[in-house]
Amino acid sequence: MESASASAQALREQIAATEARLQKLKDELAQVEASDAARYLNGLSLNGGPVTPQNGSAKWPLLNEEYQRYGRQMIVPSIGIQAGQLRLKSSSVLIIGAGGLGCPAAAYIAGAGVGTIGIVDGDTVETSNLHRQILHSTSKVGMRKAESAISYLKSLNPNPTYIAHTEHISPQNAQEIVERYDLVLDCTDNPASRYLISDVCVLLSKPLVSASALRTDGQLIVLNSPPLPPGNEAGGPCYRCVFPKPPPAESVVSCGDGGILGPVVGVMGVLQAVEAIKIIVEGKLAPSPEIQEGLKATPTSMLLFSALSPQPFRSVRLRSRRPGCFACSKDSGLSLEGLQSGSLDYVLFCGLASSANVLTPEERIEAAEYAKIREREHLLLDVREKVQFDICHLDGSINIPFSAFQGGAKAENDGKVPTWLPESLPKEAPIYVVCRLGNDSQVVTRKLKESGLDSGGKRWIGDIRGGLKAWKQQVDENWPEY
Amino acid sequence: MSISSKASAGHFTILYFASASSYTSKDSEILQAPLPLSKLFETLEERYPGIKAKVLESCLVTVNLEYVDVTGESAGDQTIIQEGDEVAIIPPVSSG
Repeated sequence: MESASASAQALREQIAATEARLQKLKDELAQVEASDAARYLNGLSLNGGPVTPQNGSAKWPLLNEEYQRYGRQMIVPSIGIQAGQLRLKSSSVLIIGAGGLGCPAAAYIAGAGVGTIGIVDGDTVETSNLHRQILHSTSKVGMRKAESAISYLKSLNPNPTYIAHTEHISPQNAQEIVERYDLVLDCTDNPASRYLISDVCVLLSKPLVSASALRTDGQLIVLNSPPLPPGNEAGGPCYRCVFPKPPPAESVVSCGDGGILGPVVGVMGVLQAVEAIKIIVEGKLAPSPEIQEGLKATPTSMLLFSALSPQPFRSVRLRSRRPGCFACSKDSGLSLEGLQSGSLDYVLFCGLASSANVLTPEERIEAAEYAKIREREHLLLDVREKVQFDICHLDGSINIPFSAFQGGAKAENDGKVPTWLPESLPKEAPIYVVCRLGNDSQVVTRKLKESGLDSGGKRWIGDIRGGLKAWKQQVDENWPEY
Repeated sequence: MSISSKASAGHFTILYFASASSYTSKDSEILQAPLPLSKLFETLEERYPGIKAKVLESCLVTVNLEYVDVTGESAGDQTIIQEGDEVAIIPPVSSG
């Protein structure tokens, strides 16, 4: 076994070294070809004037390989070469987030021949990303996402210039990163970054293609297009115009907590690429003169995708910029200086989930301690959603999902004994609440105590600190982590 | 969950997306029309206690696929949700 795994390791290293050499050769070739083509691209304007070679040594604005590579899209009537391919080649696109949205978006943006592509991501590849983040592969687990993405994109199309920004977008670095590009794709995963990216796009007059997805649903919206200065009502609305108030932090669900179907987020990322290509090819990176004069505002819409619905696509019409918008109206409170100095705290604006420490230490138990008292009479209440409970649960636990405690559909019956409490359970037997990570369990513990289930302190109710993740770390290393 | 329902006479359809759908455990339902738009959140709060603060206040709302302002400065407008209308509650989704 050992010698087999050693020779497998040696082969893997050999393959990696050979691939690296091949990539280097491809990069060199691309550079040679690019410098050849660059001469004919000089002076090409984004709004698409006639292209004239600067000298007679070559007649064509694209390389031979590029005619073949982009031929199938260049012969689409709405694309063409002058307005289409050459504009793509001379444009630059920033993709913020190399995850479920950013991966498919980047693949099509690179495939289409956008000249410069930046990828921003501070994360590293994890196994749980691979079902949807199609630029990363099993062998890339642990690698920087921005670098993993670019190594894929280079092998797909070596022609564009790729720039890796291996950090998260922040108020401090946002201007420096975004100002180098013509167009931005928001492929991030949290409210704070969505408001930040929208604000910086407004300040720097960049059109923004924003998408999001959760479970089996997605949203797509083109913002700040046309990208007119704050106060110009003919400009496209920004994220704050559509969603002026961030959702309460505790209601924000991530893909890690709520789940995501790979092709659903894939569809949304692919649609972002479509919108980006449309903006570039239609010459809308900068506003056209008649819009600048305020003659017409372009209607904006939001596309909603619900994979399970009999009508999976719905488009809703939005209005133009919101009067009084904090970012893009004439009353804008934004400035690049304010952004740099940190006077806008996006994390604070979006709120912090308050569940971090709801309970006192006396109301919590370590997973290892709980393992020791499993023999005693008690109730273990697992408050994960049923789909998670079905994947794995501790013997003897009962499942009442967190959502069932969240008001809404089921009103609280304060003071009454809940129907899920086994009648056989002695009145003073303790109740242990567990969830995946130890946040929801605290909230539920608090609610149970407030409803009087602890009989004024006679019954101990508390949670398992760190949830089932801690159980895996402290008690059972074979516990499935999903 | 019911996927879609057709409003009968004297009713309108309301669609719940994302967290609005989780909160109500429904994708859509039928409510009584006519209903002044300004009473929409109140009506939903009665049915789903807590939904206003936890979900609705950060939502985009549309009537027949058109944006409407429920809480903003121009909320004074007298829009009435009519029989057969389709109202959508669209919370921001930020994950991806």
